[in-house]
Amino acid sequence: MAATLDGQTGLYKDAVANGLWREMPVFGMLLGTCPTLAVTAAVKPALTMGLCVIFVLVCSNIMVSLMRKGLRPHVRILLFTLTIAAFVTVADLFLRAYQPAMSEALGPYVPLIIVNCVIIWRAEARASNSGLMLSIVDGLAMGAGFTIALCALAVIREILGTGRLFEIQVMPTAFPTWAAMGMPVGAFLTYGFVLGFINFMKRKRA
Amino acid sequence: MLDNIKIFVRESWLLVTAALLCGLLLAATNAALGPRIEMNKTLKLTSLAAGLLPEAKSFAPLPEAIEVKGLDGKPESAVVFKATADDKTVGWAFKAVGSGFADKIDLVVGADASFSKLTGYDVVSSSETPGFGDQIKYAYYRGQFTGVPAEKFTLVGVGAANPADIDSTIVAISGATISSAAVVQAMNHYLPQLKEQLQQKGLIPNGSNP
Repeated sequence: MAATLDGQTGLYKDAVANGLWREMPVFGMLLGTCPTLAVTAAVKPALTMGLCVIFVLVCSNIMVSLMRKGLRPHVRILLFTLTIAAFVTVADLFLRAYQPAMSEALGPYVPLIIVNCVIIWRAEARASNSGLMLSIVDGLAMGAGFTIALCALAVIREILGTGRLFEIQVMPTAFPTWAAMGMPVGAFLTYGFVLGFINFMKRKRA
Repeated sequence: MLDNIKIFVRESWLLVTAALLCGLLLAATNAALGPRIEMNKTLKLTSLAAGLLPEAKSFAPLPEAIEVKGLDGKPESAVVFKATADDKTVGWAFKAVGSGFADKIDLVVGADASFSKLTGYDVVSSSETPGFGDQIKYAYYRGQFTGVPAEKFTLVGVGAANPADIDSTIVAISGATISSAAVVQAMNHYLPQLKEQLQQKGLIPNGSNP
């Protein structure tokens, strides 16, 4: 019994470690790069996108895990897409109702969560062959990893691009803002430099 | 035949059940959040209309619905607000829809109290290409509709007319002809219908129809 419990705990620990570091979607697996580049000009939209992805990941993982015993190979992807699309629409409607300005700022990127490969990856790799609790932990960890990555990039871009953080001035007024940081070029540069730094640190530790 | 039905049910029952559940979830969410989303849209529309009719102190929807023909030819209820200040009508604001490059373009259009001149338009929502089609939000293009007679507009290419002239000739945005045409199409589609309906209801003075 103790061994089983240890095994279970190990699985949960692995799921958390994978989501937050080893298989971190944005920096570890290079997945979900479209929203990563598109919504990280400021922290607020990045955080909102991250929270939406956590919601969709957890809900779709729950649904897929509950359906896993009845899954047929040829309708598997269809079922995943149906489930993900339903929860993305719920998240989109919620934002339009309670955060209309943010919904407008994020534009098509919230509905585009439907095609975010992180979610279908977790449905296929984890939820379709794991129990409910493990699928929930996995969704939370992967979603948190995705959100942390988005926010990390957004912090750098918002500070350098506007001198502000969460729309509050944090740099001296004399700081020359880098307009490019708010543009796609800033997204690619920041992503590239952060990825390079992470790889450098990983090699140093290895 | 029976075997085929059995195979179909065995293979697809989960998909059909999941589709039903997802449909129920979406219907319930839409029913719960729909009114709030509509309220947000109305708030945005009236706040944009306030920019077009700065002298207005309040915007009130018309008590009776105005039926117009939509872009697809089907009847629809027009969204029209009466702008008032000190119980006096100072203008009208209405929603117009055009077929843009990516999706429908929702506009709010302002007109003076007699509905004879436009005070301009603003974009409520559009998915036009940034840097190209979304220039319909820019002052350069929007300015061509400010102070012009509320009549039929004609779209011409760049260089064919002076965009600074206050008339019914609209100069298209370079590289965004479809988006430019969508705005003109929305104006030409809704303006005559609304003017006629408001005249019939005695809300604006009778005059020449566009």
